[in-house]
Amino acid sequence: MGSAPSASARGLPRRVPGERSDQNQAMSWDYLFVQAANGAVIGVIYAMIAVGVTLIFSILKIVNFAHGDLYMLGGYCAYYIIEYLGVPPLGAMVMSMAALFVGAIVLERLMLTPLYSDATERKDEYGLIVTFGLAYFLRNSAVIAFGPFPLKPPSFIPGVQRFGNLVLTNDRLVAAGVGLLLIAALLYFMKWTIWGQALDAVSQSRDSAAIVGINARRFNSFAFGIGAALAAAAGALVAPIFSLAPDMGVLPNIHAYVIVILGGMGSVPGSIIAGVLLGESESLFTAFFPDPTRAFAYTNAFGVLVLMVVLIFRPQGLFGRRHLRME
Amino acid sequence: MKVARRIAGRWRVVAKLAVLIGAVVVAASQLGGVPARAADPIKVGWVGPLSPPGGYAEGTLMKQAAQLAADEINAKGGVLGRQIQVVFADTRGKPEEGTAAAERLISQEKVVAITGEFHSSVFLAEMEVAHKAGIPIIAVDVWALSITAKGYPEVFRVAPNQALIATKYGDWIAAAGFKNVAFVFEKTDGGQSARDVLLPVLDKHGVKYEAVGADPNSTEFTAQIERFKTKQPPFDFFMTAYSEAGAYPMVSQSHQLGFAPSARTGMGNSGGPAVDPTFWKNVGEAGKYLVTEIVGLPKNAWNDKTKAFVAAYTKKFDHTPSPQAIENYDAMLVLIDAIGRAKSTDGKALIAALEKTDIVLGRGRYTFSTSKDPDWAYHQFMNAPVALIQYDKVGQTAEDAPIIWPRNIADAKYTYLKPGK
Repeated sequence: MGSAPSASARGLPRRVPGERSDQNQAMSWDYLFVQAANGAVIGVIYAMIAVGVTLIFSILKIVNFAHGDLYMLGGYCAYYIIEYLGVPPLGAMVMSMAALFVGAIVLERLMLTPLYSDATERKDEYGLIVTFGLAYFLRNSAVIAFGPFPLKPPSFIPGVQRFGNLVLTNDRLVAAGVGLLLIAALLYFMKWTIWGQALDAVSQSRDSAAIVGINARRFNSFAFGIGAALAAAAGALVAPIFSLAPDMGVLPNIHAYVIVILGGMGSVPGSIIAGVLLGESESLFTAFFPDPTRAFAYTNAFGVLVLMVVLIFRPQGLFGRRHLRME
Repeated sequence: MKVARRIAGRWRVVAKLAVLIGAVVVAASQLGGVPARAADPIKVGWVGPLSPPGGYAEGTLMKQAAQLAADEINAKGGVLGRQIQVVFADTRGKPEEGTAAAERLISQEKVVAITGEFHSSVFLAEMEVAHKAGIPIIAVDVWALSITAKGYPEVFRVAPNQALIATKYGDWIAAAGFKNVAFVFEKTDGGQSARDVLLPVLDKHGVKYEAVGADPNSTEFTAQIERFKTKQPPFDFFMTAYSEAGAYPMVSQSHQLGFAPSARTGMGNSGGPAVDPTFWKNVGEAGKYLVTEIVGLPKNAWNDKTKAFVAAYTKKFDHTPSPQAIENYDAMLVLIDAIGRAKSTDGKALIAALEKTDIVLGRGRYTFSTSKDPDWAYHQFMNAPVALIQYDKVGQTAEDAPIIWPRNIADAKYTYLKPGK
């Protein structure tokens, strides 16, 4: 199947007799830089998708299987805001975040309140089944509501940037830059604001938070809303890169779970580092796996392999707490 | 009080009995035993992806066309004095759902035949059910060789297969003078069948290649394209056999990274997305110079039926039909023609009539081969039209794009238009 893998196909330029080896090495470093930079950018985008899952898990103690579909909804929402209201893409992203924030609070009130009732015995299973069902509902409804054909909103800033051999589209740079800003804003909010500290308190112990007067139910809704808003931002930011489709959330959802577990369930900084780690490992694996005919096909499997290796040594993930469950 | 309670209790018993009897009657009518009456419609099954994770965009186009064909026939009085009713089943691109759909259509809906499907792997599952039941099944837009190569008498195919499509690509790649090809195929039955056919053709022509399998759900190809860019000597053609939504990001990313379509490296996509209605909205400038196939008649060879179909479809659905749409439209008409000639809806009679099909429709003159040499030829529409086109303008429709291959029907003077020329 195919020609034998050549040195150049492995990312190592073919040696020409008499050619200086340091030149080859420079080209190899250049190739490594290009792939690493691309991996970092896609890693930040992964992290941005995953951080909402982490936030919801750390507060509500459920794995939100519908997160990828909220991400899809956010992307479509921004698309239609641009199309019908003529709002610029970044403004549309903010409006989409607001719409998903409100929509998610309504969903949380309608579907997740049994999680907080003592009458619900199997809360983990309940959360899993409800969000799984919601994911299917949203995905299939999207085919009817938005149509089956992929759509693409206009670019944030058309064009590409070249740094030597590295070519990055402006849309990727905007996605990574805005993603980093949003993550930084989230970290600031969690660490330095009274509401963020209240959220952190709920994530550590709902009962203790209640004793000091924090309404845990209200913060559950708030956390679900923020998680959905972050998903909406991610969907709006990647739409000009990958196009919008009703099932666009499936693969990012899988990536998000890998990142959340890798980073440590409930750890926002862990998600960021794990996102970049996953982006880098996938990119570098595709770039340097010796068999060029199989490298790309095994990329997703490699991400999971990284996860398995980390979990062997750190079962709680890179930055996770040892025990997180709904009380 | 006691009397009232007793009366209420009896009513409850009567109500339960009524529900039970009703359920038995409904079940009995579902399980058969109620012979079809002359006024009953003839039920035809349709299978295909209408929701994720399948190719629901193409499935929707096919469904629309199948319904249009049935509506037109019904408006003319139907067939055998009966109306045609199409029963649609969403298979979601999953073989197990295809099996369930085919079983439901045959055992519960009592369809006389089935058409449709966009995914080879799903059709391979569906045809096993049809084969066991002795019900004819017409493959509409599935290209894996194994479908007709199995030699099932119930299975017919109106689509071209990979031997007819990928061979054309291989011959064209050599004729256009490409020497070194990067090839990405989706890891599905259809994609792997494309690889199995294309690579020996490239070998025959002495064209070098590097074939890379890809997850059909992938949308991020940057690392792989960067790897292709390091190849020495450089790849001069980037061929993709990718029918899923990821085809659009692949074209966009390849163009943005300066790989293809470019003056140095041409690009082709096989699988269908490049002729879908939102292709240009997704790829923009990157789609210019892309080579793809159309599996309908080229515009310069359209007959009256093609023109009538395109007009009716465009009027009804407000967008031009894709080749998959006309494939499904014709498949329905082929089937209805067979029912009319067989004067029966019996499976064996229909299969015999389908084998004798000789009808001119929107994709030309339909006949089915009964030869098993080669094995994939059995019940294959051997003259299924396949032409390679190359977009030379942004926003161009597939019908208006220049045909570059095969040369006997080409309307472009060139075999390949190099970007920038």
